[in-house]
Amino acid sequence: MKKTLTLAAAALMALTLPNVSVARDLTIVGFGGGYQDSAREHLFEGYEAASGTAVSDDVYNGEMAKLYGMVETGNVTYDIIMVEAPELVRGCEDGIFAPIDYEVVDGSKFIEGATHECGVGGTGWGAAMFFDKAKHPNGPTTYAEFWDVEAFPGVRALRTGPKMTLEAALMADGVAKADVYDVLATDEGVERAFAKLDEIKDHLVWWKSGAQPLQLVGSGEVDYAFAYTGRIIRANGEGADYQLNWSTLLYSIDYWAVVSGSPMMDEAMKMVEWITSPEPLRAQAAVWPISPANAEVNADPALQAANPGMVLNHSDEGLFISTEFWIAHGDELQAKFTSWAAQ
Amino acid sequence: MSKKSRISWLLIAPLLALVVAGFILPIGYTMVKAVKNPEVTAALPRTVMVLDAWNGQGMPPDSAWDALADDIEESRRGREFGAMTRRLNFEMNGARSVLMQTRRALGSLEPPYAQSLPVTVPELATPEIWQLIKNNSNPFTASFLLRAVDLQFTPDGRIEAVPPGTAIFLDLFKRTFWISIWVTVICVVLAYPTAYYISSLSNRAASYAMLLVLVPFWTSILVRTTAWFILLQREGPINAGLQAAQITSEPLQLIFTRFAVYVAMVHVLLPFQILPLYSVMKRQGTSMLRAAASLGAPPWRQFLLVYLPLTMPGVAAGAVIVFMLSVGFYVTPALVGGLQDQMISYYIAFFTNQSINFGMVAALSLLLLVFTGALILIARRFVPGLGSLKAG
Repeated sequence: MKKTLTLAAAALMALTLPNVSVARDLTIVGFGGGYQDSAREHLFEGYEAASGTAVSDDVYNGEMAKLYGMVETGNVTYDIIMVEAPELVRGCEDGIFAPIDYEVVDGSKFIEGATHECGVGGTGWGAAMFFDKAKHPNGPTTYAEFWDVEAFPGVRALRTGPKMTLEAALMADGVAKADVYDVLATDEGVERAFAKLDEIKDHLVWWKSGAQPLQLVGSGEVDYAFAYTGRIIRANGEGADYQLNWSTLLYSIDYWAVVSGSPMMDEAMKMVEWITSPEPLRAQAAVWPISPANAEVNADPALQAANPGMVLNHSDEGLFISTEFWIAHGDELQAKFTSWAAQ
Repeated sequence: MSKKSRISWLLIAPLLALVVAGFILPIGYTMVKAVKNPEVTAALPRTVMVLDAWNGQGMPPDSAWDALADDIEESRRGREFGAMTRRLNFEMNGARSVLMQTRRALGSLEPPYAQSLPVTVPELATPEIWQLIKNNSNPFTASFLLRAVDLQFTPDGRIEAVPPGTAIFLDLFKRTFWISIWVTVICVVLAYPTAYYISSLSNRAASYAMLLVLVPFWTSILVRTTAWFILLQREGPINAGLQAAQITSEPLQLIFTRFAVYVAMVHVLLPFQILPLYSVMKRQGTSMLRAAASLGAPPWRQFLLVYLPLTMPGVAAGAVIVFMLSVGFYVTPALVGGLQDQMISYYIAFFTNQSINFGMVAALSLLLLVFTGALILIARRFVPGLGSLKAG
């Protein structure tokens, strides 16, 4: 009898164990920083209050390996994740992201191009070159000047990886914005970009997470850096005197995607719908220069006036990072970049 | 089995389990993973079967097109297709986009696909992609191991060097071992006098001196590396000191250099060299030195002919530990080094996190293990003291 009881207890435990992992908070993951702080307050906690579903958030640096691992082993602990456009498309093709349920999510509210089979636009983002005016009253303002180590001696910082780096190199070499991807699609163009990078290789430091370039410039380690615009604007809001060069802007849209195999698929879809709706986005925009992909909020003149740092306000000054280009050439250029950088 | 032998088995069981679980299984798994190639067969079983009968010359039979269409239809929502395209793209840039295009095109096309597909996806009308599928239908492949030494397969199955712009791993292995050897040498040179000095102190003084070695030893590697990051900054204390002393007029670039990697690695690993040396020296005492002196040997002969050979096991034990640890170093170079100062572990992490290519991860790890083992074996023949180190 005792043995049967023990067995029954063990069986009961085995049955309840998987449920323990299901009964976790709805988990949403982003790239961190001030954007996520404002999103936590106005989008994540806002949804928690509105729906009664407990939400927690986590931060990653855009590495997809963990997601692939989760989906392949069936142990999915992230539900909603913010991804860059090429990763969204590839993850969708690979079955890592679930198709968006457009019965729940209203696809008509987004700006053009911000809806995809597996994701909807979260926020526009951009990166541009900046420097500390206190140290360099007249720093470089264009990519050509960023590359000019004679006129502007000092250490430069760029993001580790080919994306954005090669575009910047070509523009520094005199390629017009409109032609960057046409040139980069050719072997000669790639050679040209790497040759241009060679010119300043000894003056370069590479960063990985968005917080690093701000720390590097803040501590005086680096003179001129390429960084996410939101973080530069926030640093200025906190007392720094950084000059942000909008003419060097490279921008794109980040998407909200739902991880395939999430045990809270329905909740996740509802949350995606809620955090892309006008009301919470307006609240978030009051504290952080977001560029929501929600058409109504994005076109709001009052918001645009209040948020001079909205990336999509500056789209005519910048270059839109081509999703198609990076899907087609990403692997090849990543391999080339890795081997170039190691030498 | 007698009771006695059963008990003895029981006694070594925990150790056996540890060796199997911590050593044999992971290394075995890595070895298998480095040559495993299941993706293509899993995603395209019919295509592989048809191509098996094809000799690889010219275009495959028309049935291959229909088989491909069937396979893609079957795997539409599964994850095998994505894994297969990533696998093939590793072999041939562009293979993924051709196959993704094929999948998209199939939704609106009618059989026979041998006629309809090449119109929308002209790349399929060349033999390369079919050869690629055929070549990778084998459940095992040498291609990761080849790539880890900068070689690759051509579409028709020959082995060639990768294009010069993308060759990287041989240099990285060389750099990894070069840095590790220098770190080991510097550690030995610094640790030997330190350990000798501590061993010559009175017990009380020695325990205080040991504390200076042990406290950093107990501190997390990450903390010590970050400390070096702060010290070596352009506006950090070292540069400030150099400028205050008017040795330099401008801040030196210390961080993100090979120099910083050496400094931080030596600092992190030094205790591993001091501790075994100290224990050997302490046990040795000075009686042999006194004996040599009484026989008329001058100090340099006492050292070279008596003390050094006697303490060599300590040098060897420490050096092997320091070398093995440096070969696998990741955090320290990643934090204080530039991209040109990264060692092989950085790229193992890169293939794990960024490219999601576990075949490459396993191949690089395996080669690192083989090269390290080979180097230790060679060193045992030439470095005195190492040979007596049975456990090394």
